[in-house]
Amino acid sequence: MRAAFSILQKDLRMEFRSKESLLAMWIFSLLIFVIFNFTFEVSRLVMLEIAPGLLWVAFIFSGMFGLNHSFAVEKENGNLRSMALMPVEGGQIYLGKFLSVTCIMLLFEILIFPIFIIFYDLQISMQMLMLIPVVLAGTIGFTSLGTILSAIAVHTRNQQILLSLLLWPLVSPIIIWSVTLSGMVLGGDLPASFYSLLTRVVAFDVIFFTISYMLFDFILED
Amino acid sequence: MSVPALQIDKVSKDFGRIIALRNVDLIVQPKEFVSILGRNGAGKTTLLNIISGVAKPSSGSVQLFGTDPTATVNKAKLAVISHEMFLYSNLTAIENLEYYARMYAVSDLDQRIEDVLNDVELRHRRFDLVATFSRGMTQRLTIARALLHKPSLLLLDEPFTGLDQHAIGMLIGLLQEQKNLGRTILLTTHDLHTAKALSERYVVLEKHRIIEDGLMADTSPDEIRTKFFSGLTTEKEL
Repeated sequence: MRAAFSILQKDLRMEFRSKESLLAMWIFSLLIFVIFNFTFEVSRLVMLEIAPGLLWVAFIFSGMFGLNHSFAVEKENGNLRSMALMPVEGGQIYLGKFLSVTCIMLLFEILIFPIFIIFYDLQISMQMLMLIPVVLAGTIGFTSLGTILSAIAVHTRNQQILLSLLLWPLVSPIIIWSVTLSGMVLGGDLPASFYSLLTRVVAFDVIFFTISYMLFDFILED
Repeated sequence: MSVPALQIDKVSKDFGRIIALRNVDLIVQPKEFVSILGRNGAGKTTLLNIISGVAKPSSGSVQLFGTDPTATVNKAKLAVISHEMFLYSNLTAIENLEYYARMYAVSDLDQRIEDVLNDVELRHRRFDLVATFSRGMTQRLTIARALLHKPSLLLLDEPFTGLDQHAIGMLIGLLQEQKNLGRTILLTTHDLHTAKALSERYVVLEKHRIIEDGLMADTSPDEIRTKFFSGLTTEKEL
């Protein structure tokens, strides 16, 4: 765990110093909310229908910035190679990068959520707290898979295109379920299917994380 | 007889149709300082990549201290200095060193960082971002990073490239110190005079295979140039 936390500390220190990812993610999401809010004149009922989708569009597209940046910074000055030279298991490096990407994305989500509420005039209720496990599970699924795929894509010239091509098909179920779950939370009463669907997302998270942790040694090899 | 620090048996490496190394054999004993000489594209960097475990040979085997180079125990004994910095520009010198010290589980971290910063004369810039360093200062910090965990085997891939005379002199001094401490060192360089001054043995890589393995005491830089690099007027062309 020592190595993973060292990577986390290093990444967060660099991010808070430059604010490169956070700022880009926040501005991008703000643009999404502004454009959708002023383009479509829809009733509040329809807005409630599309709001969960918009929220996850902002989360995921902005999250792509974070993922791309996460390993781009390692490629600079050969640091990715230096990671392969370290006496540390690949899984620990994966865990460190996963934790840093997830922390940055969660922080961004906390910062952008109040804007989302204001733009779409959503009523704050206790039930909204149920968005916490939904956002956590959805984000972890996205970053657990995104971290390893970003490490693969960074070796190529078209890093951003390859990451999108690899990530979207695999992460789609998690995004679709997260949108559905968020819709349930924002829509009012939680149906019985909420918890089973949330369990499904968590199960996918565990599978993606475990496989990625075990395979990361091979990613660092030539 | 002690276990060799490095044993390479019939190593070949190709990248598709491109051959990088062909049947390379090399044994390096502990505490030896070996210079690897060769023209650009001879396979020197590929050889160091295979030794360090970041590249796998297409055939043949490599052993560091009697075991697989990718074993964690071997990675802890190894340091690589190349034209790549292995540093984060957006971190200060001390933050970079702290990060590497933790990754290599260096004991007495603060004292060790202080020592290496003094060795490379960068203590006064320890709180400055690496992005603000000159090329020479960055390379000195790279050297400090590499020496942080007191490696048993040092792999140096053209470490003098881009350095000014002061930095070259400092690096030569540090390498001599490491040699006196009993470290095993492999150096690829174009500078035959520096190779002669530092190493006791040299190997020449030509067309992806070792064509000469000799003692520096038995030859001179001019002899090496005439014998293996004729047609090249300066060492820069090597």
